[in-house]
Amino acid sequence: MEALKSQFPAANFSLLAVVLLLPLLGAFVNGIFGKRLGKQGVRLMALSAIGGSFLASLLTFLMLPRGEAAEEGGHLAWNAWHWFTITGKMQQAIPIDVSFAIDGLNATMMLVVTGVGFLIHLYSSEYMWKDEGYHRFFAYLNLFCFSMLVLIMADNLALLFVGWEGVGMCSYLLIGFWFGETKNASAGRKAFIVNRIGDFGLLVAMSMLVYYLGTLRFSSIDLAATNLSVPVKIWPIGNLSADTLPSFVAAVILPKEPVMVYASTLVGLALFLGCAGKSAQLPLYIWLPDAMAGPTPVSALIHAATMVTAGVYLVARMGAVFILSPAAMATVAVVGAATALFAASIGLFQHDLKKVLAYSTVSQLGFMFIGVGMGAFASGFFHVFTHAFFKACLFLGAGSVIHAMHVRIHDTDKSQDMRNMGGLRKYLPITHATFLISCLSIAGVPPLAGFWSKDEILWKAFSNEIAAPRTVNGLVPWAWPTWLGVAIYWVGIVAATMTAFYMFRAYFLTFHGDFKGWTIVRGWTDPHAGHGHDDHHDAPHDDVKGDGPEPHESPLAMTIPLMVLAAFALLAGFLNAELIHVAPLGHLLEGVFKADEVAVHERAAAHGKEMMMLVPGILAFVAGIGAAAYVYLQNKGAQETAFAKSFPRLYKLIYDKWRIDELYEATVIGMVDALADIFQMADTWIVDGILAKLSAAIVGAAGTVLRAFQTGKVQAYSASMVIGLAGVGWFLVRPHAVTSIDDTKLKQTGEVVVSAAPGFGYSYNWAGPGLAPTSDFSATREITIPLQPGDKKDVVLQVKNAFNGVDTQTITVARPGKKAAAPTPGANPMDDLAPGGKVVIPGDKIPDLLRGLHQ
Amino acid sequence: MTSIPLEYYLIVAAALFLVGTVGFLLRRNLLVLLMSIELMLNSVNLTLVAYNRVHTESHAGQIFTFFVIAIAAAEAAVGLAIVLAFFRVRKTVRSDEADLLRN
Repeated sequence: MEALKSQFPAANFSLLAVVLLLPLLGAFVNGIFGKRLGKQGVRLMALSAIGGSFLASLLTFLMLPRGEAAEEGGHLAWNAWHWFTITGKMQQAIPIDVSFAIDGLNATMMLVVTGVGFLIHLYSSEYMWKDEGYHRFFAYLNLFCFSMLVLIMADNLALLFVGWEGVGMCSYLLIGFWFGETKNASAGRKAFIVNRIGDFGLLVAMSMLVYYLGTLRFSSIDLAATNLSVPVKIWPIGNLSADTLPSFVAAVILPKEPVMVYASTLVGLALFLGCAGKSAQLPLYIWLPDAMAGPTPVSALIHAATMVTAGVYLVARMGAVFILSPAAMATVAVVGAATALFAASIGLFQHDLKKVLAYSTVSQLGFMFIGVGMGAFASGFFHVFTHAFFKACLFLGAGSVIHAMHVRIHDTDKSQDMRNMGGLRKYLPITHATFLISCLSIAGVPPLAGFWSKDEILWKAFSNEIAAPRTVNGLVPWAWPTWLGVAIYWVGIVAATMTAFYMFRAYFLTFHGDFKGWTIVRGWTDPHAGHGHDDHHDAPHDDVKGDGPEPHESPLAMTIPLMVLAAFALLAGFLNAELIHVAPLGHLLEGVFKADEVAVHERAAAHGKEMMMLVPGILAFVAGIGAAAYVYLQNKGAQETAFAKSFPRLYKLIYDKWRIDELYEATVIGMVDALADIFQMADTWIVDGILAKLSAAIVGAAGTVLRAFQTGKVQAYSASMVIGLAGVGWFLVRPHAVTSIDDTKLKQTGEVVVSAAPGFGYSYNWAGPGLAPTSDFSATREITIPLQPGDKKDVVLQVKNAFNGVDTQTITVARPGKKAAAPTPGANPMDDLAPGGKVVIPGDKIPDLLRGLHQ
Repeated sequence: MTSIPLEYYLIVAAALFLVGTVGFLLRRNLLVLLMSIELMLNSVNLTLVAYNRVHTESHAGQIFTFFVIAIAAAEAAVGLAIVLAFFRVRKTVRSDEADLLRN
């Protein structure tokens, strides 16, 4: 270890290159040479790349500074290269580097990404075995791991954004992995577009941080964050004011006082828009359920364990900014709570196993945002950590079930429909056991991992209070009402009850009861042998619930990841069990969040109620699991059918996911469609109609006229040449008085220069005020005319050429300004007295004075 | 030495040029057209050498005349070749029969 420490000093920790570049190498090799390597080679490359990356991450984790060094913000840093420089508000240079910094937070995250990533790679190497795009799949998967590692290891927002976009792209590629079906391809597109809306917020936040703080490095942002406590006018924007607007508009839209908010609130909300897009929060969650169109391991890795938690990670990372704005914190927490409840309610009645898990993921992400929004960054992140294990395990378990179902049912939707499953615990014992452990964990049964993290979040929601930052420039910050935390706590309890219910509904429907997929016949062989489980041609026998073999347990490469993940789902909670004061992970994160948590206090009223507030949490899972067991284990879903019968419209509404997609369809997409219609009309009428057809008509008409001249007769052409030459000759014989006026010197000297154009045998005659009158023509091409302010002079130019033709032109030159003050009428000319009282009669002045009198 | 005034040369040249122009515009025989062009070129040559008689300090007019003669020879060679080729195709040398490229 000492040797390693001297090899990789904390300030230049180049071991991170290994962590990053191995997955990139895997992506490159599999992407370029995968087809020639063969499936074994691809498997070896992909697994060793991510496995090596995991080992390097483990080393990194072990080499993290401990103890006091960690609490003082000690971390491992590696600066790969200087990327570019931007200029800040004060004209200062802001370097943007490709550099990485590892502390407790992202070291843990690295372990999750590479560790869970490795297990899922291992699982996929078997799950995808029969797929034609085997190498493509692993190239994408490795590329995803690389992007995700860039995202979490970056030490500045710009580099984080690179990873952020990278994972978005890989997500898009993998959702649409089976792009042959339009449904999958459009699900990928939807994910990409919705994520772009969030990315817009992240870009805005980055710009504001550069503007206000002059840095994008997380460590510098932490130090300088208080500079964000400046009031910013958000309305009216620009130069909108009573002067620039019509009065009736101004009366409506202009408030009495300009609307001011803190810059920290704006940055926080913009950041959260990005997080809501990536982490599927209301109202941008809609892409995640559709993302289940991708292969199941992808859902496990990207859409449950790692990528979707990037938003939570970012909020935790930017905690220093968020704690300056209780309003932004409250937004995060309230949106989180709403999402948790809302998604859980949709999960209640879904039939598709993966859809249930998808809504469960959205709901759990909501819990994480409750945590970070309530200032409990460590708790929120701890839920990211435990959720990665049990949700990945659930998805892989679902994949194992689907794998078994594919023996007989090849249609994607039908093989995932829980109405076709049931009683699988006999046939898939390992899958069943691991699935059950994960269900118990997510439902929050002590002492499994989910219990510790979820109850920690709920307790922090109940007890935490965000201190308002100090008032700057008289703008009072929004204060956090005490009831809000309690309300979020109870919403969380309701959502947790629903979670327990729908998870166990899925568990009972899948693993208990009678198998409903097909009639099991021992020793049955597929007459259409040779189907891969992931090929998508709908064989006609899919619709017939005929005979089939026993569903079989998945091979070892798929069950080992399940078992490892289940073990973590069982035990990971003890890494941060605050209740029993065993919290190694919490201690690791203390140094990271120490500065952020100064603004977070425990409410006095909540003090000492920790054990009491556990009771609703425990009641929640008891009620949820009990109800699910009663309905689906004992009564085979009779109550659900009864509910659907008595409230058909409500049931349908929930089943249709509250028709949020339809709402988007009608509003946002409808608006875009209307806009597209307008553009299309503009295209038809303006571009095609006026620009194309009209210009074609003009050219055509001109062509018709000009075609008449194209006689093909040499004499006609030469005649027109002769006529043209005669015209040119006539022009040359006539003189032309053309002048140009140069007034660039007018300001300084009060003179303008008038010059005549030269010509063959030209001579010139100038006449006008201040010029000696003459009838002679001379070679003087240029004259200078002095002008007083307000003067206006006419100059006559005559031009004579060699044939004695004469042309005349009159040029008027003027100088703007007031005339020199003439004496006012009625003024006594005798007023003009010399000093001493002696009257001086300025002889040459008198005519001017008299003229002034007569004006 | 009595010399002929410049105007005389110019009048002759103008008359020659007019004859050439009118011939070129009115006749239809390609050979006559070529001859008309020669006539115009030579009227210009006459003007050039006549002016050179007035401006004796340089010989630009005379030199330019040689150039014009050279160009005229080349033009006549190319022109006659075209006329010959045209005659082989259409069995005529009338210019208004040269309408192969008209639509």
